[in-house]
Amino acid sequence: MSIEVTGVNKRFGDFVALQDVNVTVPSGHLTALLGPSGGGKSTLLRIIAGLESADTGTIRIQDVESTSLPPQKRNVGFVFQHYAAFKHMSVAKNVAFGLEIRKRPKDEIAARVDEMLRLVHLSQFADRLPSQLSGGQRQRMALARALAIEPGVLLLDEPFGALDAKVRRELREWLRRLHDEVHVTTVFVTHDQEEALEVADEIVVINEGRVEQIGSPDQLYDEPANDFVMGFLGEVTTLGGAAIRPHDVEVSLSPEVPGAVEGTVARMLRIGFEVRLSVLTDDGEDVSVQLTRTHARSLGVQDGATVWLSPAVGATVRTPAQTTALV
Amino acid sequence: MAKYLLRTFVIVYLFLLVAWPVALVVTNTFDDGLTSLRSLFEDGDVMAALRLTLIAATTAVVINTVFGVGMSLLLVRYEFPGKRALSALVDLPLSVSPIVVGLSLVLVYGGRDGWFGPTLESWGFQVIFATPGIIMATAFVALPLVIREVVPVLHEIGIEQEQAAQSLGASARQTFFRITLPAIRWAVVYGVVLSLARSLGEFGAVKVVSGNVLGQTRTATLVVEEKYLNFDQQGAYAMAFLLAMVSVACIVIVAIIRPKEGART
Repeated sequence: MSIEVTGVNKRFGDFVALQDVNVTVPSGHLTALLGPSGGGKSTLLRIIAGLESADTGTIRIQDVESTSLPPQKRNVGFVFQHYAAFKHMSVAKNVAFGLEIRKRPKDEIAARVDEMLRLVHLSQFADRLPSQLSGGQRQRMALARALAIEPGVLLLDEPFGALDAKVRRELREWLRRLHDEVHVTTVFVTHDQEEALEVADEIVVINEGRVEQIGSPDQLYDEPANDFVMGFLGEVTTLGGAAIRPHDVEVSLSPEVPGAVEGTVARMLRIGFEVRLSVLTDDGEDVSVQLTRTHARSLGVQDGATVWLSPAVGATVRTPAQTTALV
Repeated sequence: MAKYLLRTFVIVYLFLLVAWPVALVVTNTFDDGLTSLRSLFEDGDVMAALRLTLIAATTAVVINTVFGVGMSLLLVRYEFPGKRALSALVDLPLSVSPIVVGLSLVLVYGGRDGWFGPTLESWGFQVIFATPGIIMATAFVALPLVIREVVPVLHEIGIEQEQAAQSLGASARQTFFRITLPAIRWAVVYGVVLSLARSLGEFGAVKVVSGNVLGQTRTATLVVEEKYLNFDQQGAYAMAFLLAMVSVACIVIVAIIRPKEGART
């Protein structure tokens, strides 16, 4: 195990940031700490890095008891949301910083910096100052800087949070590929469930200082442990009193499936490739349904039409009895 | 229209208050060509006063810079009870009249009946009416200048660069010298220049603690007063001109070497 967090509690005054948190991260994995803002995920990451100390509990990093080690002794690479670039140093100097602190020979440092800059596609910017780079480039520089010291684990705190949507998407695909190349155990914090689902091998959902569920992206999406996880990972609506995802609702214009719920289309909204329906059932439920544009067209659904709704085959449904079932 | 009115007002105001009086000092100094300046440099007591001012000001600036940067770090980076009180205390020298500073130093370190002075004197260390007292008075009045320059910049640069350096393996010392100090260097330079100008010009506190002994504890500003009171107006203007020039030189040098974009970080 690369990182073992055991029984960690942390308070800031009256505010409970973390409550009995236990997480293990296997070597070589890319793990996401996912949860809403203020839920404690960043605090947990900072405790792992040693930038914050836990009130109780222990941290082991690569089988070394690290609870009371200062950050500089943990051999951890940390990447901040706002880059934390050393503004008065060139890009190359930024990347070289950790190696210079370690008093490595000059030619070794130069070679390593070269290699790192190539890895993050910044070779041609080596002599620029961070202020001359775009946000995405700065964050790649910060990654190269953290990776240059060959850390045992790489920790990223909302690494793409300050970037615009397009750069964000590019960078997270790039991070996934980079991780497949470098294989360093990586933990990143995000509040964006799409980012976590797309990039991570494993997701730890943290809310109000507690771990809600740990699992693979598919497990979390298909078998959420509770309503919070189900709601946080994707949209949820209710059908016949049970929670279900809007894209898991099957629509037909005739009562084909036994037990299908009858209703009328109250609103129809087209957004690019998808069509969102708001269906008012005869029982008074307001069900949202997501269809692809082509599916909606082939069905011929229209505003005001009478439709029958049922859970699709393989849908994730949570009944009020608090259990999840795959239909 | 309003812009021109405002501009004219500011120019007239600055001219009447600053430019004209200072210009008159310059013209009075050079009334007889260079004679008054030359006679100043030939006067051994004046040279002694200049030397003393330089020593006192430089020492006070060094002390205030080291203390000021340390104090700024303490005020910005750490939380502790009484922090607000400490922050207010740091500003005290700006609001207290220098005369009061001088008197209070005499009360503590005075050789005859000061609180701590007689003890120090019995160890053979004289503070009041000697160079240490002059340095202390000067350091006291210039104390907040470095701190007030550095604190906002420390706030602005935040803590993340330092944390990044730590996670990359840097010790506290390495982090300070490689990351923090370069980031605040301009603020420190401005603070030093302001402190130096303030220290060179200090008059009230120094007058009380120095004893004003000719050739020994008389500083440059005291020479100006002495000459003025002795109807040697020419000499007083020449000395005042010298002091003003040093301050102007400081400001000019900083304006030249400061980075173009005006970024303080």
